[in-house]
Amino acid sequence: MSKIIASAAIRGAHKIAKRAEESLNNAIQQKGEAQEVGFPDTAYFMPIALALLGVKVKTLGDFVPVLEKAKSMLPPEPAEHVWLPYLGNTLDAGIATILFEEIIEAVKYITGPNPVDGIWLGATDDVILRMQGIKLVDGSMPGFAACVGAMPTNAEAVKLANELRERNILVFMFGETNGKSMAEQLAEEGVQMGWDSYLVPYGKDITAASYALGFAARSAMTFGGIAPGGLKEAHDILLYNKNRVFAFVLALGEVDDEKYATAAGAINYGFPVIADTDIPQILPTGICSYEHVVSNVTHDKMVETAIEVRGVKIKITKINVPVPYGPAFEGERIRKEQMFVEFGGQKSTAFEYLRMRDLDDVENGKIELIGPDIDKMPEGSAQPLGIVIDVAGRKMQQDFEPVLERQVHHMINGAEGAWHMGQRDMNWLRISKSAKDKGFNVKHFGEILLAKLIDDFPAIVDKVQVTLYTDEKAMADLMEEARQAFIHRDERVAGLTDESVDTFYSCTLCQSFAPNHVCIISPQRLGLCGAYNWLDAKAAFEINPAGANQPITKGDTIDERLGQWTGVNEVVVQKSNQSVQNISAYSIMIDPETSCGCFECIVAILPVANGVMIVNREHSGMTPTGMKFSTLAGSVGGGAQTPGFLGVGRQYITSEKFISAEGGFKRIVWMPKELKDSLESQLKKRGESIGIPDFFDKIADETVGTTEDEVLAFMQKVGHPALEMESILEFSV
Amino acid sequence: MEVKETYNGTIREVTLGVGDKAVVVGGETALSFYTFEGVMPRKPVIAFDVYDEEPADWPAPVVEPYKDVLGDPVKWALKCQNEYGADMICLQLVSTNPTGTNRGAEEAAQTVKAVADAIDIPMIVYGTANVEKDTEVLAKAAEAAQGKNVLMGPIEEDNYKTIAAAALGFQQAGATHSPIDVNMAKQLNILATQLGLNADRIIIDPTTGALGYGLEYVYSVMERLRLAALTQNDSMTQMPIINTIGKEVWKAKEVKVSTEEEPAWGDAETRGIIWEAMTAIALLMAGSDILVMRHPKAVELTRDFMALMA
Repeated sequence: MSKIIASAAIRGAHKIAKRAEESLNNAIQQKGEAQEVGFPDTAYFMPIALALLGVKVKTLGDFVPVLEKAKSMLPPEPAEHVWLPYLGNTLDAGIATILFEEIIEAVKYITGPNPVDGIWLGATDDVILRMQGIKLVDGSMPGFAACVGAMPTNAEAVKLANELRERNILVFMFGETNGKSMAEQLAEEGVQMGWDSYLVPYGKDITAASYALGFAARSAMTFGGIAPGGLKEAHDILLYNKNRVFAFVLALGEVDDEKYATAAGAINYGFPVIADTDIPQILPTGICSYEHVVSNVTHDKMVETAIEVRGVKIKITKINVPVPYGPAFEGERIRKEQMFVEFGGQKSTAFEYLRMRDLDDVENGKIELIGPDIDKMPEGSAQPLGIVIDVAGRKMQQDFEPVLERQVHHMINGAEGAWHMGQRDMNWLRISKSAKDKGFNVKHFGEILLAKLIDDFPAIVDKVQVTLYTDEKAMADLMEEARQAFIHRDERVAGLTDESVDTFYSCTLCQSFAPNHVCIISPQRLGLCGAYNWLDAKAAFEINPAGANQPITKGDTIDERLGQWTGVNEVVVQKSNQSVQNISAYSIMIDPETSCGCFECIVAILPVANGVMIVNREHSGMTPTGMKFSTLAGSVGGGAQTPGFLGVGRQYITSEKFISAEGGFKRIVWMPKELKDSLESQLKKRGESIGIPDFFDKIADETVGTTEDEVLAFMQKVGHPALEMESILEFSV
Repeated sequence: MEVKETYNGTIREVTLGVGDKAVVVGGETALSFYTFEGVMPRKPVIAFDVYDEEPADWPAPVVEPYKDVLGDPVKWALKCQNEYGADMICLQLVSTNPTGTNRGAEEAAQTVKAVADAIDIPMIVYGTANVEKDTEVLAKAAEAAQGKNVLMGPIEEDNYKTIAAAALGFQQAGATHSPIDVNMAKQLNILATQLGLNADRIIIDPTTGALGYGLEYVYSVMERLRLAALTQNDSMTQMPIINTIGKEVWKAKEVKVSTEEEPAWGDAETRGIIWEAMTAIALLMAGSDILVMRHPKAVELTRDFMALMA
C-alpha cells in the first residue's frame, strides 16, 4: 500500500476521531448519558457499531465504549523512516473512521443540525432497506456507487448520475469538493432525487458516508442472515459485502485526509475506490476482489472502470432490435422468395469469429460496421459478411471461445426475420424482406450478440464488442486470423487426451426421463447426445456451478485398458442412485456406460463377424443385428447397463478411445451408408493413423447387406482386420 | 423374517406461522408412515384454498361449502379456520393473473395483510405461476405479511432471486417449484440457498397432478426426492414437500362433469370428494407434508386416513 495513502488515511482518521469525541462529549453535557439515540424506524440500532462490534447502542452513554474501542484501533501516523506497515494499520484506521462518523451523524439527530434537511435524506429506514435490498440480491440493481465530492461542472454531474442510473446502479452521494457536492449540482439542474429515482443524497458532510456503509452492513445482516456479535460475525458481514454487494466509491475532485480515511473504511467492505484525480493507486488484489484504488480515470471512463474493477454484472433486459425476439422464432426458415439479402452459404465470403481479448482491449457495448449497410445492398443479393466478436472477462478462458461462438447460431435465429446456419467460415445468414422493412440492418446482428452474450453468460463474459464487416477487403486480415484460430482450436481439441487431464465431467441433464443415467464426459469421449464435449461441459460448469455438469476428479486408476477410475466410479454410484457400480469409459463388453436415450448412434456387437456395427438415429432400415434402430434403442436406453450395446455420439466413433478395450476402431464392420459418408474424411484419417489406409472401404453398409452372414462374406472378401482379432466374446468374462 | 430399511438422512423441520398456532412440518427419518422403520414425528398438515377473488371455474359441489363467503377472502379464511378446522390457509392471489383480473401488486398485498391479520393459523401465499407478475406480487406480499412467517410461492428458476430475496428480507419461508424433476428441484434449492435462503426455510413444491392427470408421475418424483433425502442423505432434497391438490383435482373433467350430464358416473359431489381424497392419500404416501385442499369432506376423509395410519 502506498505510504502516501496510508499516512493521509491515518491522519484523516485522527481528525474525525477528534470531531466525534467533541460532538459526543458536547451532547452528553447537554442531554446526559441517558439520552436515547437512534436512527428512525430501524431495528439495527447504530448499524455499523452493531455489525462490527456487536454493540446495541441505545443511549448516548452506550456510545462511550464504541468511541473508546474505535480510538484504540487508531494507529499512529507512520513515521518518516518507516516504509512497510501500512495495510493493516490503514484498514484499522478506516474501520475506526466509519465508527466515528456514525457517532457524529447520530449525535446530529439529537443536537442538530438535523441530517434530514432540504435535499438531504439522512438515515435509511428498514422498509426502504428491504425493498432496495431485494433488488441488490436478485441482481436487478447490480450495485451502488458512493459518489464522494463533486464533479467539475453541473452538466458532468448529471451525465455521471445518468450513466449510473442507466445501468440501474443506485447512486449514494455525500461529501463535498470545494464547498460543493454532487447532489447539490444535480439539484441545481432540477434533477429529481430520491430512492425511486436511484439518486440518494445522504448528506454534505463526509461523515454521511456512514449511512451508505451502515446500509451495506444492514443488508448483510438482513439478507445474509448474519446475526452480529463478535469478530467472526463482523468479518462475515464484511465478507458478505465483498462477495454480494457490488458497491464502489467514486472519489470526485480533490481527496483530502478525511476522504482517504473514509475510503479506507469502504475498502474493508471490499468496495474499491475509483478516483478522477492523480492519487497513488493500489492495484494488487487482497481485500477487494480486484484492484483497491484506481486513480486518474477520466470522467467519461469512470463508470466503465468502476464496473470492471468491482466486477459488477449488468443485465440487459431488452434487445435493441426492431423485430420481435425470442426462442419462438428459432425454427423460422427464410426462403429465397422471402429473403432480402444473404451472406455466406458459399455464395459470398463470410465468417464468424469469437475471440478472447484483454479487458483493456474491449470497449463494452461497442458495435461497429465496416462497409455498407443493408440499404446499400441490392435486393436478393449475396454479400460478404465478417462477424468478429471480442469478449473479455476475468473468468474467460481461451477454451471457451468455441463454446460461446457456437451460440451465435441460436442467438441470431431468435430474431424474427433473421436466419443463421453453419459456423466458422462456413456460415450462412439471411435477412428477410419484412425484417428489412421493419428497419433491421446488419448492425442489429451485433446488438443481438452483445445483449445475449452478456445476459446468458454473466459468469464468464464481462465485456463484449462486435465488429461487422461488409467490405470484403477490410475483413481479409481478420478472416485469415480466424482461420488460423480455427486450426489452432482443432489442434487443441485433437491434443486433448484423457491422460492429459485429471478432471472429467458428469452430465445429468437427462435424468428427468432417465433418472439413473449419468454421462461421463472425457476429452476423448463426448456425451452420447453429441451436444456436449469436454470443453462444453467445462464451460457449462463455470457458467452454472450448480448445474447438470459437475467436475469429477478421476482418482486412482483401477484399470487403464477398460478406462476405470476410482473417482469416476464413486460419482457413477452416487449419481445413478446406486443402480450402477462401475463404468468403463472404453469398453462395450465390461461395465459399459449407460444411456439416457439421446444417443446419436448405437454400437452393437456382431458375434459372428467378431466386430461391431454402428447405426445412427436417422437410419430407419434393418441392421445386421436383426433389429432396427428403434428396437435397439429400447434395450440400450433408460440408464441400463447392457454389455454388447452402447449409445454414443458420432464424434466418439473416430476417437482413439473408441471401445479401445476390445481393440477399438478396427472392430467396426458395418454402418449405414449415410453415416459412413457423413464421417468419410474422419474415418479415412483414422484408418490411416492405424496403418490401414483402405479401412473405410472395408466397412460394410446396407448396400452390401443387412444380415450378419452377408457382412461376414463381405469381410472375408475385403480382408477385414476384425477377422484376425481375438474373439470379441472373450472380453465378456 | 422382517426386512427393514435403514436410513441415514432426516427431513428438515420447518416452522411456519407464529405464536400458539404455528405449525412445524417435516422431521421424518423414514418414508412417510413407515413408522416401523423410523420416526414420523407429526402428521402432515392440511391447508385450505382461499381465493382472493370469487372463483369463476369451481364446480358446484366445491362452491357449496363456501357459498356465503366467496369473494370475501377474510371471511372465507375465517370460515376455514373456525368451522372447518384448517391447519393453515393457502391464499391464492388469482386476481393478479395478467390474463384475468390483473390486479396490481399493491392491492393484492392489502388482501394478504387483511387475511394475515384476521386469522391466527399460519398462512401460505401463492401467486399465479406467472414468472414476471409473481415477482412483483410476492415481493409486496412478503412485505405486507411481515412478522407472520408465511410460506410464499411458487418460487421458480426464472424468478427465484427476487422472491427468495423478499423471503429473506421479510423473514418468510419459500416454496421452490420445479416441473416434476428431481434434479431441477435440487438445483433450485441449491440456487436459493446460495442466495442466502436457509435450507430450513424452504419447502419443495414438486408440481402436483391429480388422480388421472399425472398423479403417478408426481408420486414417483416425490418418492425419488425422499429416497435421495433419506438413503443418500442428500441435503438439497431434505425439505418438506407441499402439494397443491385442490387446484388440480377440481379442474379434472371427471370431477367437473355434473350428475345430470353423466348419471353413470354417480353423484358429482361424492365423486369430487373422493377424487380429492384419493389424490391426497396417494401423495401422503409419497411423502407430502403440506396438502392444499378444498372440500371439507375430502379433508375429513384424508384426516381419517392419517389417523388410521399413525
